[in-house]
Amino acid sequence: MAMLNEYSGRNLPDYEFEAVKKVHFSPYADNGGSVIALAGDDFCIIAGDTRLSSGFSIYTREQQKLFPLSNTTVLGCSGCWCDTLTLTRILSARMQMYKHEHHKEMSTPAAAQMLSTMLYYKRFFPYYVSNMLAGLDENGKGCVYSYDPIGHCERSNYRAGGSAGALLQPLLDNQVGYKNQEGVDPTPLSQERALSIIKDVFISAAERDIYTGDGISIKIITKDGVKNESFSLRKD
Amino acid sequence: MSILAYNGGAIIAMKGKNCVAIAADRRFGIQGQTISCDFQKIFEMGPHLYLGLPGLSTDTQTVMERLRFRLNLYELKENRRIHPKTFSSMISNLLYEKRFGPYFVEPVVAGLDPVTFEPYICNMDLLGCLNVPVDFVVGGTCSEQLYGMCEALYEADLEPNDLFETISQALVNACDRDAMSGWGAIVHVIEKDKVTTRTVKTRMD
Amino acid sequence: MFLTRSEYDRGVNTFSPEGRLFQVEYAIEAIKLGSTAIGIATSEGVILAVEKRITSPLMEPTTVEKIVEVDKHIGCAVSGLMADSRTMIDRARVECQNHWFIYNEKMTVESAAQAVSNLAIQFGDSDDDGSAMSRPFGVAILFAGIDEKGPQLFHMDPSGTFVQFDAKAIGSGSEGAQQSLQEVYHKSMTLKEATTSALTILKQVMEEKLNETNIEVMTMTPGAFFHMFSKAELQKIVENLPNAREEAPKPRSDSGATPSIKPAAISSG
Repeated sequence: MAMLNEYSGRNLPDYEFEAVKKVHFSPYADNGGSVIALAGDDFCIIAGDTRLSSGFSIYTREQQKLFPLSNTTVLGCSGCWCDTLTLTRILSARMQMYKHEHHKEMSTPAAAQMLSTMLYYKRFFPYYVSNMLAGLDENGKGCVYSYDPIGHCERSNYRAGGSAGALLQPLLDNQVGYKNQEGVDPTPLSQERALSIIKDVFISAAERDIYTGDGISIKIITKDGVKNESFSLRKD
Repeated sequence: MSILAYNGGAIIAMKGKNCVAIAADRRFGIQGQTISCDFQKIFEMGPHLYLGLPGLSTDTQTVMERLRFRLNLYELKENRRIHPKTFSSMISNLLYEKRFGPYFVEPVVAGLDPVTFEPYICNMDLLGCLNVPVDFVVGGTCSEQLYGMCEALYEADLEPNDLFETISQALVNACDRDAMSGWGAIVHVIEKDKVTTRTVKTRMD
Repeated sequence: MFLTRSEYDRGVNTFSPEGRLFQVEYAIEAIKLGSTAIGIATSEGVILAVEKRITSPLMEPTTVEKIVEVDKHIGCAVSGLMADSRTMIDRARVECQNHWFIYNEKMTVESAAQAVSNLAIQFGDSDDDGSAMSRPFGVAILFAGIDEKGPQLFHMDPSGTFVQFDAKAIGSGSEGAQQSLQEVYHKSMTLKEATTSALTILKQVMEEKLNETNIEVMTMTPGAFFHMFSKAELQKIVENLPNAREEAPKPRSDSGATPSIKPAAISSG
């Protein structure tokens, strides 16, 4: 302190120099991203945008957010990307272990329940990921499971999640669930219609959500396997 | 939680072909508790001028009364109807006067030019920052949901009936995904020679 | 012969020069002292039938429990040291519930057998927790269950080896019973036929006269899953059993033919 005072022109009080600087660290990041899944009678489509961002910067425009876990199950993740990476690695390891222990491929409902318990086991230091599991159930019917970060799990036929989830969900309610529509008889969702709805709603989301854009990757799950498609969105 | 989301509510306005529409939900609540289902958030400020005030309900009413006061003075002094654009500036001005102790409302204006009957919509934040887009504006606790609905459903140059259908679908479906909004809805479609006001049946939960 | 064996038959973690673990083989012998249990798997379901040794008229027969429910879709018949069987059944139950908890689906019969097998081979002094058994379990188990592969029957011995069977007998009367099962079993057997066959064979190998109090019978069917026969149901079946070989010889492993896996024929060299 004496040295400092010697060199500085004025005599500053000691505490100005000795003040402790508070360093802040957050173990979580929000890397944005949106995922949508639609289930039909014999198929399931899941789509995720390909933008990975943080705050106002874009890390990459081509980040896949969909993870095939088996021939009939695909997981879509958005939120904290580092947690996504860890979670999906553990998940695929668990899928592999199950296959060896029980001599069969894990069904989508089984994977859905397992994911729920895995998330809940980290109840007090959660994976900050918004998950969506799409696939076919034991009867070959399309199914979508959506989660909160601590393992609440709900099965539905359509769901939007991630940063643009709030923008897209009411739209799906209206267009896929035929909510608030009178005089229309709900026709079962066809693959073509599902695909065009997904493209439309992602275009809408990219207009208003800065964390969603660049492009979408789509996975169409049928009994014959998983088919990939992609589609580009606005890049600004 | 923001004080803007204390009472809840949603307002939306859209431009059509020679017409504008403005719609709001009718819930008045205190956080999660719903108090009434006939609360007014949209106010008729002239024959072709409507004002929506989503936000803190007490400020909704205060701001409306203070604006009515200024609007009456304006119209007496000028002896003519106010242009929606001028009215918007008046709101903006009133809000900015309270820059450091703001009214917690995010106004939405929809109207027709009193002379040319040109459609006009705008909204602003609680400090009075104006935004005048060409298509639609939203406000309230479910603005995210409303943006999602509008971006997908909106088309330019809709006829009054189609505009009514679009704005109603956008509002009702957005409100269904927001616990703080809903419980009935009201839609005004403003045309040159008539204003059609309809209440919309919605789910009440 | 005896001398040679005694050098290697103490520790459960020491192989004999011939490559055998005597304690395990003795445990397999031990279950041949247990009461007889028979299981038959048909396309309609699985049936388990066991004898209960009522050693005293003062004994309460219902407290001897040799067929147990592991889950709604898995039942087990045990023979051997009943105390040991409790530990294993407990494990089976825990594993089934845990599987349901994690995967929201029924555990397969094979997986349940595998899980119990993992427990069965955990004998010996382990480095980690001291909870491991110091000796092999003296229990043989029949797993009867229904999963996506249909009705199944698994047998597990004290070594933890488990194999699927169409029909299997364990316990003291297993030698003769297994022989009889081989004769009567056919793929298109109905569950009713299987029940009658199982009880007929049980009747033959039991020392006491078979009645509704000294047996337990359970069926595992796709409709009703685990169903333990009530006394009235048993009575009805026992009455209708064919009386043909009432005075037939009752083969017991100690009196009957030489067991196939008898670890005796080792010369001291």
